[in-house]
Amino acid sequence: MSLDKTNIFKAPLPVIAASFLGPALVANGDALWEEAKLPLSSDEIVQKIMGQPMRRAGRFIKLVCCGALNCLQSVPKEILHDKKVGIFLSTGLGNIDEILPFITQVFKHDGGFPSPNQFANSVSNAAAFFLAREAGVKGIILTISEEELSFESALWLAQTYLESAQIDLALVGGCDVFTPTIEESRERMNLTTDNSRLLPVGEGSSWLLVGRGEQQKIGDILAVHFAPPEKGVLPEKNLPGMETKENYFLPGFRVKEEQIDIWKNKNNWQIHDYLPCCGIHPVASAFGIAHALQSKKTGCFLHYNVNAAGRQAFILARK
Amino acid sequence: MSDKDIYVRGWGAVTTLGWSAPESAKNLIEGKVRPAKAGEASHLISSEFKSFAVPYDGDHLSKSQKMLEGALDEAIERAGLSPSEITESSLFVGTTGGFFIRNEYEFTEEIRRNPKKESPPISGRNRGPGEVTQVIADKYGIKGMAFTLSMACVSSSHALVVAAKLLEQKKIKRAIVFGFEPLLNLTLHGFSSLLLCDYDQCRPFCATRSGMQIGEGAGAVILERGDKARYAKSVYKFAGGYLFNDNSSLTSGGLDGELVKEVVAQTLSLSRVSASEIVAIKAHGTGTKDNDLSEGLGLHKLFGEKLSPVVSLKGALGHALGAAGAMETAVWLSCLEEGLIPKSFGFRQLDEEIGFAPAQKNNVASNGAYLCTFFGFGGTCTSYLIIKE
Repeated sequence: MSLDKTNIFKAPLPVIAASFLGPALVANGDALWEEAKLPLSSDEIVQKIMGQPMRRAGRFIKLVCCGALNCLQSVPKEILHDKKVGIFLSTGLGNIDEILPFITQVFKHDGGFPSPNQFANSVSNAAAFFLAREAGVKGIILTISEEELSFESALWLAQTYLESAQIDLALVGGCDVFTPTIEESRERMNLTTDNSRLLPVGEGSSWLLVGRGEQQKIGDILAVHFAPPEKGVLPEKNLPGMETKENYFLPGFRVKEEQIDIWKNKNNWQIHDYLPCCGIHPVASAFGIAHALQSKKTGCFLHYNVNAAGRQAFILARK
Repeated sequence: MSDKDIYVRGWGAVTTLGWSAPESAKNLIEGKVRPAKAGEASHLISSEFKSFAVPYDGDHLSKSQKMLEGALDEAIERAGLSPSEITESSLFVGTTGGFFIRNEYEFTEEIRRNPKKESPPISGRNRGPGEVTQVIADKYGIKGMAFTLSMACVSSSHALVVAAKLLEQKKIKRAIVFGFEPLLNLTLHGFSSLLLCDYDQCRPFCATRSGMQIGEGAGAVILERGDKARYAKSVYKFAGGYLFNDNSSLTSGGLDGELVKEVVAQTLSLSRVSASEIVAIKAHGTGTKDNDLSEGLGLHKLFGEKLSPVVSLKGALGHALGAAGAMETAVWLSCLEEGLIPKSFGFRQLDEEIGFAPAQKNNVASNGAYLCTFFGFGGTCTSYLIIKE
């Protein structure tokens, strides 16, 4: 895989804040959870982060808002003052959590009484709208969907907007929620025993605040790179910013165990396996990067994943 | 022409008026427009909601695949893209429903085949909007960047603006922008539940308007930098692309027109084109009370007495939601090629509050700047110019 110039950032992209929320619904913390007990009620986390219930919103909208505001609330308000902020929400499946009950109602009653509120919430960019309102953001607000490479796409796009100075800061995140059943959830993510790791399905809302803020940063994004299926594996000697002693490989959910073993055996490389903390969901890479940047580890973090068709993507971060 | 500017190299569309952009444009110009009908597709369960379906003899699932291929094949052929040019292109897809059609089709077929069995709950087995992009990338061998914008009615118009921005920044070589929206029970019942559908006729900017009528379709527009765009009779520049998202109202862009005025003013400023230079406006014009009022007021405030002919295509094509941007732009380009801008269908009576009537006759499509606007759910706004040279 060659790194063409468009995918290595001209300058490291400062990460001002990072937050993650997994299926246990504990903000920035790992906790035990079980696939069979999903989804958990989000009432408590909504109350804690939003300060009030979001009665008319479904879980997807609630988790988008909670995850993103959790990230924003971790930085001093003056960092955001007078800044042009863009929102880049990535989601593989969107608000399937409200689409399904709505369409079920449509078919059940042959055009009877489906909920207009539920339909409005289910529209693909409704969650970004509610987040924008909560965060007081107007302007560049995009909802990007690219299956399991959604977050990588959103982060790459955010960087281009920052580079053009159209925005000062970008709130970039990924959210997908677990919607029963487990079997259907696995089918929606195109998971089979031979195309993904053997892990439970999960959910998450994980966010980065990136952009101008060299002094307040907790880390950097050095590159986001995409490559077609037939290109070779990662050439670590070509990766920028690899002067650190500690390097961590973050395997995405389609990375084969043999490939993880190869990275385990490389000098100076360790595995940061975040997936047991969040389970498989399309934007798990957002959780992985935020999880690594929030950890006590320092060094370089290389997240790698492929989609079901073999398209490859990696994110290189440094802390 | 300039190497720095962005040009349209090719386009294609499948609409209720035809399986190509020129066929749709010709029917528009000749006034061969059919009213929306109820229940034309076998998977639609209500005979109450009228919509603009793409004519097709087979089942709706295979139709949606053919719509996808039809628009893309036409655009690629018109652009004269070589296999290597296709490979290095980047792909931008705007869709809201994606392949949700598969869930609805399979469910209704199951019911039809087993009428005496209790119906199971519908399952949601599609892989999200990004599945459309991956299917296209696989089928055509597109290996550049891939983005799916799922942003309701502005999905593919936003995609055009994002693509143009990345071309300007030289981040990508070429953009194939695609909008796709098959008819769904989900959206027909959804917008009806919000009381946004007109049960009679879509009447953009008309005093008697009472809502939109949903259409289906697909559209593709191929953008690139520089002067390889001479594959049409004229050359078409894409300029002034601007997108903005407001956070005031989930369902409308305000009623005073200020947001619309500001967004369009940004497009004029970015493209350094004055209001008086606009030859005609392809408005969003959904036929809903709020959209047409805010859009009409915004255009009137900005252009005043210099307002050029305003056309909404939705009275003839329906509102194709996420596909509207690419589909309407492609049809508009074919109208420009024909040398005529079509009239706006469905209008009956002047709305005094809006203060103008949309174009009621075809107009000559001279060289110059044409404004395209889109305003959608969630306070989303897109505006850009197509400049015929």
